[in-house]
Amino acid sequence: MNEVITEKAQKEDWEPKIIAFLCNWCSYAGADLAGVSRIQYPSNIRIVRVPCSGRLNPFFIIRSLVDGWDGVLVSGCHPGDCHYISGNLVARRRFAILNDLLEFFGIEPGRVNFMWASAAEGERFAVLVRKTTEIVKKLGPNEKFKKQW
Amino acid sequence: MVDIKNENQKIEEKMRNVARDLLKEKKVDLIIGYSEGTLPLASAPVFIRDEQEVDKLVWNNSCYVNLAKYLIPNIRENINGELVDLKVGIISKGCVARSIIHLLVEHQINKENIIIIGINCNGILNRRRIEKEIGAHEITETELSGDHLIVKGNKFEKKFKFNDYMNELCKHCEIRAPPISDSLKDNIVGECQEVDSLEDPFEDIVDFEKKSADEKWAFMNEVLKDCTRCYACREACPLCYCNLCFVDQNLPTWFGKTSEISDILIFHMVRGLHLAGRCVECGACSSVCPMGIDLSLINRKINKVVKDRFDFVSGLSLEKLSPMMTYKMNDKQEFMLEEN
Amino acid sequence: MQEKIIFKKEIPKLVKELTKEYILYAPKNVKGNIEYKRVNDGKDIELEFLNSKVPPKEIVFPRMETMFTYTRNGKNIEIQKSKKVEDKNIIFGIRPCDAHSFVLLEQFFNFGEFKDDLFLNKRKNTILMGIGCNTPRNTCFCTSLEGHPFKKDDMDIFMVDLDDRYVVTPISDTGKEIIKRLSWLVDAKEEDLEKAIELSKKAESMISTTLEIQDSYDFLDSEFSDPIWKEISETCMGCGSCSFLCPTCTCFDVIDEEDQYNNRGRRMRIWDTCQFCLYSLHTSGHNPRDSSIERCRNRILHKFSYYPTNYNLIGCVGCGRCIQLCPVNNDLRVILRKLNEIQKKEEKTIVA
Repeated sequence: MNEVITEKAQKEDWEPKIIAFLCNWCSYAGADLAGVSRIQYPSNIRIVRVPCSGRLNPFFIIRSLVDGWDGVLVSGCHPGDCHYISGNLVARRRFAILNDLLEFFGIEPGRVNFMWASAAEGERFAVLVRKTTEIVKKLGPNEKFKKQW
Repeated sequence: MVDIKNENQKIEEKMRNVARDLLKEKKVDLIIGYSEGTLPLASAPVFIRDEQEVDKLVWNNSCYVNLAKYLIPNIRENINGELVDLKVGIISKGCVARSIIHLLVEHQINKENIIIIGINCNGILNRRRIEKEIGAHEITETELSGDHLIVKGNKFEKKFKFNDYMNELCKHCEIRAPPISDSLKDNIVGECQEVDSLEDPFEDIVDFEKKSADEKWAFMNEVLKDCTRCYACREACPLCYCNLCFVDQNLPTWFGKTSEISDILIFHMVRGLHLAGRCVECGACSSVCPMGIDLSLINRKINKVVKDRFDFVSGLSLEKLSPMMTYKMNDKQEFMLEEN
Repeated sequence: MQEKIIFKKEIPKLVKELTKEYILYAPKNVKGNIEYKRVNDGKDIELEFLNSKVPPKEIVFPRMETMFTYTRNGKNIEIQKSKKVEDKNIIFGIRPCDAHSFVLLEQFFNFGEFKDDLFLNKRKNTILMGIGCNTPRNTCFCTSLEGHPFKKDDMDIFMVDLDDRYVVTPISDTGKEIIKRLSWLVDAKEEDLEKAIELSKKAESMISTTLEIQDSYDFLDSEFSDPIWKEISETCMGCGSCSFLCPTCTCFDVIDEEDQYNNRGRRMRIWDTCQFCLYSLHTSGHNPRDSSIERCRNRILHKFSYYPTNYNLIGCVGCGRCIQLCPVNNDLRVILRKLNEIQKKEEKTIVA
């Protein structure tokens, strides 16, 4: 079924919309660095700055899917680099469980993506955003949570 | 082979004696236990404050409610405007004791206030499944005989194999004896049926995981679409003690409250998420569902994830923190995006 | 008008004929639960059933119902009222207790100057084609509430199950008209009618619960804070099973949902119950029904005191669903008996 959607999507020049939650202390600055260094990355992502990846309640991610975002990207500091010492480590456990559970309920793997990127890794940030966009593009529009109006 | 009926009677008798002694010696103010239900295959929780009433206590394979649910609201009493700690005795099968351990780990109750009367459990019958199978007949009487349950009604009699008609979670339960118990000389009453140690207790979950995303989604839709959102599953869970549940929060409203399938799925998904590393597999949520929805699949999946990732089984140790309360530097992170 | 006979093997024919004009809801076996669902084929109907799990109120008062939708265009908001439903429904196989619950629902939705169009419109277009209860459940107590397993007053067409056939009695004018149009029905014989009366008596004798309910109103008013309420509510967990699946419970919650990405929204109403803590929570944070004591009391009082005061009818039909479905087996019959007992004691002390 996904392939049908993808075909249709490609025909109509469909572009996914991806919401990205970026940690203020690393990935957000990383995105900035990518911009300043003129490294191109797809414009499909819309950035939400959060104080730490540990600030992310799994609700944010599920709610984004419900609201119709085609993909979710969460990015925080590398383990050990957290500005608040352990925020990203706590978040990692949460994400692991959430990821497994979403998959179990039948959300395609790749709808929700997690990554680490430091403030100095503009290049890495751009590469991973490109990768995410590709993955989500392949999956097609997110229609599972669509309500019947 | 354990004669379950016989064993139940033995447990019942001993349990009553212990409760009577505790009340007589004023070691407890209150005993929380099970009493005879007014319907076949049902039981009702009961609060006993007087030794005269101890004979109300029963033990059988329909005692599906997790009594630990009643601890938090009843452990303190308001006497003339002052909160007084009560001593509470609680009849605990394996999973009830595990919930108590977990509540202790989460600092919700004080160990000094609770006396655990541990009893061995041989599994709880799945009432809704039996009712569904009987269909358009009224059950008037049930009886255990050997390893079968005989269900009698108006002009019919049917035999059910006990081990097949247990709760899905009880079938996989390997911790039937309470891990802690305070109040019996030989600690725990009764004998457990020998559980065949399963090679892979999560075999069915692994099978389910192999399905494609769309198949899984369709299956979950089918299973959960009858949900009326009465939240009996939440209320029956001893670990759902939040003052305000996430579905009730309306400033802001996180998720819809309608019975549209996406809202229903989200409720059950997040309920599962919140039980990660906490679910003690008592099966109360499935037993109380008025629509007979089996939630054990979600609960067992969560437990499998926690076991695989963090090597943790909830409600066994008072020292170990539950995995969502802590972290390790070297946690697995294979799900993270990498450049290549 | 004369009673007719329809054979069970003719049900598919009946369904075919009725679905031409009406939307037919009939008991259906959905994963082991009996529910009133839309049926287009007579084979789907489950004729052997005691009573449904979800009451048929769901057809006229759905779990979730859109009241209106709106679209946003800049600062302008345009409201689209939900279309008036003109579909004509037939509920086939409704039990007498549930049919009586429709009378109670009407009282609520059609009270004084407050008319609920959404409900009343659906109710007006719904025809009840009921079947008497040959085998009441052991939790049934309709006879204590002026009901009867063969009560036909609240229906349009009443049927009695005689194993291989039904005796069909049209009650209301609409019912008579429908039966007239079904010209292929044969007239009922004398012996069939006799058998139906016999079954009715047998069913009545099968109801084992008798409760004195009439007397309890005064008590419920005067003894508002009796310790009995604590005893009753002690084990209640506060789930909504009893009221969600009660045929006479009418409470609903109105919620707004906005789809901000598509500039539209909707207002809908969903089932709500007095057993939830959010039900009576004020904006200030104060909750007048803060614990299960008040909530349980409200449920009982609403059915057995407020309904009689407001509408002169008892708000319970004795279907026994709440008894069957309560997770902690908090039996309504036991509760009522306890209340009656206390009341008797009260009376004695007053006399003395």
